[in-house]
Amino acid sequence: MITSTDAMNEQERQPPGIKLTAQQLRARRERSIAIALALGAFVLLIFAVTMVRLGSGALSLSGDDYMRPVQTTK
Amino acid sequence: MSITLARVEPSIAGVGDYIELMKPRVMSLVVFTALVGLVVAPGHVHPVIGLVALLCITVGAGAAGALNMWYDADIDARMARTAARPIPRGRITPGEAAGFGFTLAAFAVVTLGLLVNVLAAALLAFTIFFYVAIYTVWLKRSTPHNIVIGGAAGALPPMIGWAAATGSLAVEPVLLFLIIFFWTPPHFWALSLYRCEDYARAGIPMLPVVAGEDETRRQILRYALILAPLGVAPWLLGYAGPAYGAAALPIGGVLIALALRVRNERDGHRASKQLFGFSILYLFLLFAMLLIDGRPGGLFGHFA
Repeated sequence: MITSTDAMNEQERQPPGIKLTAQQLRARRERSIAIALALGAFVLLIFAVTMVRLGSGALSLSGDDYMRPVQTTK
Repeated sequence: MSITLARVEPSIAGVGDYIELMKPRVMSLVVFTALVGLVVAPGHVHPVIGLVALLCITVGAGAAGALNMWYDADIDARMARTAARPIPRGRITPGEAAGFGFTLAAFAVVTLGLLVNVLAAALLAFTIFFYVAIYTVWLKRSTPHNIVIGGAAGALPPMIGWAAATGSLAVEPVLLFLIIFFWTPPHFWALSLYRCEDYARAGIPMLPVVAGEDETRRQILRYALILAPLGVAPWLLGYAGPAYGAAALPIGGVLIALALRVRNERDGHRASKQLFGFSILYLFLLFAMLLIDGRPGGLFGHFA
């Protein structure tokens, strides 16, 4: 059975969290910005190719073509 | 059950280190030759699709470079030319480089396949596999023909560019492949002649280390004699115009003349250094002329 005292002792034994040096912090920030920019560029890329591939068809989906009733034969 | 965690130092790698890991100079040659393959291919490619193809090929090449540096970190540390690369310098850990390389490779191949076409993606995947598994892991440390066979990886980008534009392959992109394939050995052997001790120290069986300088000089001339006619072939076969021929003929002559000087050189490595430098200019000029005067879809052909 774990008592509250045991749990406190356990907590005290935990090493303090990793302290980043100024250089490590700077490098992490630099990498984070680069990843954000790369992700943004990737999203734009997919958007641009979608526009090129579907062209005006992408827009007409929400317009006439989409709303036109399905033709049925008697 | 106890879990022991190894203490891992937080990374100090900056963006510049990761860019260096992708071998930007190799990447620039890859993107240029791939662009030529894309432009000289027949038919019209939407600029956005062309740009996506080039981007994927470039990122794929960078991924292959990162994986090469990951696997070769031990020998890179022993060679003066490569000792300052990010892994031997302690800026990036091997694990970070491997993760970066595999992630980029997967992204480049899948994106190329989904947004451009499957043939181009398959060729890019094969190129990365060939460079990393066949050249880096297997051939580089085991045979003096390492760069001859491994050169195929560097020769594939114009074929990927062509495949991206057309969705198929033809004789022309194979010719571009052959030009780079036969260009690689004299280019790297010229370098290895004056970096011989470096390669020997790292235990890489480059031709001058294994077969000696004289044999290397003979082989350089042999490959130059195959390369120069191949360089003229696009004009002779009608894939490029007279301006291309007018450029390819004299620079092919200079290449052979320099290879002959390397062959006859006994003291020092002046001619080898000249040939190494000129070989880069030679390939650049050939592909630049193809871009300008290639048929049928050459740069000017698009506006004709």
